[in-house]
Amino acid sequence: MNRAASTLAIVALLCTAAANWHHLAWWCLPLLLLATAIHARAVVRGHPLPGKLARIGLAVILTSGVLLSFRTLNGVAAGATLLVAMTAAKLFEARASRDWLVICGATLFLLLAACLDRQQIWRLPVYALCLWLSTASLRGLAGSNIPAVTLLRESALQLLYSLPLAIVFFVFFPRLPGAFWTLPSDESAITGLSDEMSPGNIARLAESDEPALRARFDGPLPPVEERYWRGPVLHDFDGFTWRRHRGTPASMPAPDAALTYLGPAYHYSLTLEPNSHGTIVALEKVRPPDLPEALFTDDYQLLARHPITQTKSYLLTAYPQARDRNELSTVARRIDLSLPEIRNPHARGLALRLRAQSTDDATFVANVLQFLHRGGFEYTLTPQRLGRDAVDDLLFNTRQGFCGHYASAFVDLMRAGGVPARVVTGYLGGEWNPIGQFLIVRQAEAHAWAEVWLPAQGWVRADPTAVVAPERLSRELLQFGGFGSRGARLTAGKWLTTALQTWAAVNAWWQDDVVGFDFAKQLHVAVWLGFGDGDWQTLAIALGIGMTAWLAWIAWSLRQQSRAARPDALARAWQRIDKRMARAGYARAAHEAVLSYCERLALTQPSVAAALWPLARRYSQLRYGPPATATATREFVRAAARNGRLAP
Amino acid sequence: MLVSLRSRFTARVARWARQRQGIDELPAVLRARRLYILPTRAGLAFALLLFVMLIAGLNYTNSLALLLTFTLAGFVLVGMHECQRTLQGLELVQAHAEDLFAGDTGTVQLHFANAASASRRALGIACGSEPASHFEVAARSHVTIAATIRVPHRGRHRLGRLLLTTTAPFGLFRCWTWLHLPLELIAYPQAAGERALPPARAGRASPQNRSSAPGEDEWDSLRAYQSGDNPRSIAWKVWARGGPLLVAQYESAGGSDLLLSFAGLEALDLEARLSQLTAWVNECARLDIACALRLPGVEVPLGAGREHQTTILRALALYGVDTP
Repeated sequence: MNRAASTLAIVALLCTAAANWHHLAWWCLPLLLLATAIHARAVVRGHPLPGKLARIGLAVILTSGVLLSFRTLNGVAAGATLLVAMTAAKLFEARASRDWLVICGATLFLLLAACLDRQQIWRLPVYALCLWLSTASLRGLAGSNIPAVTLLRESALQLLYSLPLAIVFFVFFPRLPGAFWTLPSDESAITGLSDEMSPGNIARLAESDEPALRARFDGPLPPVEERYWRGPVLHDFDGFTWRRHRGTPASMPAPDAALTYLGPAYHYSLTLEPNSHGTIVALEKVRPPDLPEALFTDDYQLLARHPITQTKSYLLTAYPQARDRNELSTVARRIDLSLPEIRNPHARGLALRLRAQSTDDATFVANVLQFLHRGGFEYTLTPQRLGRDAVDDLLFNTRQGFCGHYASAFVDLMRAGGVPARVVTGYLGGEWNPIGQFLIVRQAEAHAWAEVWLPAQGWVRADPTAVVAPERLSRELLQFGGFGSRGARLTAGKWLTTALQTWAAVNAWWQDDVVGFDFAKQLHVAVWLGFGDGDWQTLAIALGIGMTAWLAWIAWSLRQQSRAARPDALARAWQRIDKRMARAGYARAAHEAVLSYCERLALTQPSVAAALWPLARRYSQLRYGPPATATATREFVRAAARNGRLAP
Repeated sequence: MLVSLRSRFTARVARWARQRQGIDELPAVLRARRLYILPTRAGLAFALLLFVMLIAGLNYTNSLALLLTFTLAGFVLVGMHECQRTLQGLELVQAHAEDLFAGDTGTVQLHFANAASASRRALGIACGSEPASHFEVAARSHVTIAATIRVPHRGRHRLGRLLLTTTAPFGLFRCWTWLHLPLELIAYPQAAGERALPPARAGRASPQNRSSAPGEDEWDSLRAYQSGDNPRSIAWKVWARGGPLLVAQYESAGGSDLLLSFAGLEALDLEARLSQLTAWVNECARLDIACALRLPGVEVPLGAGREHQTTILRALALYGVDTP
């Protein structure tokens, strides 16, 4: 087995395993390094590799290790860990080129696992490097001893040749709309909103620059104060934690025409990052789209029927001024009025006091908001922890918190005062990216607000944070008011802002047009290129044409390589001499070397031969002596050209 | 049953290829028309790997996985073309088959030239079921390679087809062509038989008197080295003094000369007799004893040396097959 190829195979394996590090078991990479060290030692010192029994025992131990770490062998993470472990074991018996082929195959499979798991643009060069290394080692498997540099150069060239085909297939090979089977996915890795909220438990709100969603608007942007992105709606409160309502009717499909769609409409395409709560976070109020995988619920959430584990795009329409059309059902009223009897007694007292001062529900809402505005509350991202009666603690003791705290307290007061209310979580705001022409909403813009039911108006949004900290809703203050890293970043300088926006735009393009390249976009490209009128046959035609063209190109360019090479400068120079001599009637026979030709010529044409003699001698020296330098060759070519005057 | 079907199929393919390609006139440049290519077992396994990757990519509509799969597919297809290119345009300039002993291995010398600017790697040439000789030809260079051959019976043979293969660049495809060369080779009878050399002719000493192989210093004359000469008879001292590579020649020191014939071998059948004679000829050559051959209808006069040995061996090889 070629040493260079096996070294490359090991390096490729290590790189690919490293690209998978985020979902491998912790012991996996050290094990691989250990196996590599043992293998290298055995190769260098000529030690025998472990025997068969040891290898079988190792395989059993490793499989149990994976089972212990993941409780399953199913799933990308467990599968990748098992693959790394088994390949490490394979290194103990890697001798023949067949074993190395297995290792190469495992490396490529690991690379696939990494691709399945993470698709960020910055990973592309990492994956390309892994691919390059493993294809280079693959090239060394044919047996002959080729240095690693040659293998790397040749495989790079071969990959470049294959890239056009890969692009043609990538664009035109028909994608399937859904999965035939799904593997359990690791949801704990997803940050952002969840489907419950315990304001009292959070001592510090995580500031994350991770994007949550992006929206490209078809037309004008909605005004800043209307950029409420609706996520999970929380109904159930135990005095401390808000949760989604389990069971009917809050997660029931909304009755037809539950809303009247009034006012301006905003058409946009939403690109949603994966989340753990399964809600398609859409701009309020979303008009139910005609999507089989989405469910529009009674409380106006757009739920996805399957977990959102990959970035997905949706075409949606929002009507910020949509109004309820129907009455609140008794069941819904009961759910949105229920409070734990024994919790937060002071808040209940306050609510009843304020209620007594109000003439109707609307004034009660106004009074509570007034209380929050005047009560000396402070907006902070690092509040104190709250006690068991979280609302009482907030309203009468700590008096500091962020959106979640105030939304929670407000809804509690509303319900205690007999007004149906619910907590809505989601995002508020969005940063305009002028380079990519889209609005990007980051996890740091997560927000919680409230909705109250008013008899004449239906569900009305009430944002208590807006009265406690009005600057939270203002774009300028949001950007320059010291919101942690983002504030610092945005004041840092214009070029930095531009660079970050460009990066965000590149990422958006990558997500939308590469990662999110689906059947519809394929058809769009095929039609745009003029391959037909947009069915799957269009793709077949495009694929056929692209592949034929590529094959023709490959065959042609490789043929160029296998053709007889053009004679070198030295030979061409002598060919010119030959031509002149042939014109003069002294043609050199095909079998004659230049020196014997001169000898023959000397018998009949001594003068011509004498002129040619030094050239012939020099030619033989350059040709059959030590490799000719470039200068020596150039001098000879010039001398041969001068000889034209000497020839008869 | 399966084996016979397989061999019948192989024979059919061989006939078809022979008819299709005809006899190769040298120098022969390998053209695309006569090159055949199929994936190897490793290639099929790799195809399965690619298929699984494709299914995974499609299932999860994962763009990077699909891009990876398609890039690898392209890589393999380029490799397939490259595999074919490794043979295409290769020139077989010269071929020469040396005589050999029946049942023993011999060689066919093949001279390949590569005029292209890319080297040709992982080439192998084999005749019949003999192990292949592996070689490579660098860019713009040429190489002489010996393919192993084996012939079961003595006589004049036409060289069977040669199989020229390559698995470059990565062993996933195997491209091959058959070479049908108009080469004849002569297989000497197998050297066998335990009998002692017949007695030297009257008045001469028996070769057995000589105690051992001649020493270096006792040569009678020197001649230039030819490939195939016994290294023990090389005059190393001359060479060590900076002289040319010479081979010591000995007058039949004991003055012995032998007549080799069927006399005394009547108990054996023809092939066994010929084998015994072959063994004797080799022995004479080793001991450098002059010998002559007389068989019914064949007569080789007394002589010694390598050429003489060849003459006798050829006569034995062709005895009764085609009388010269």
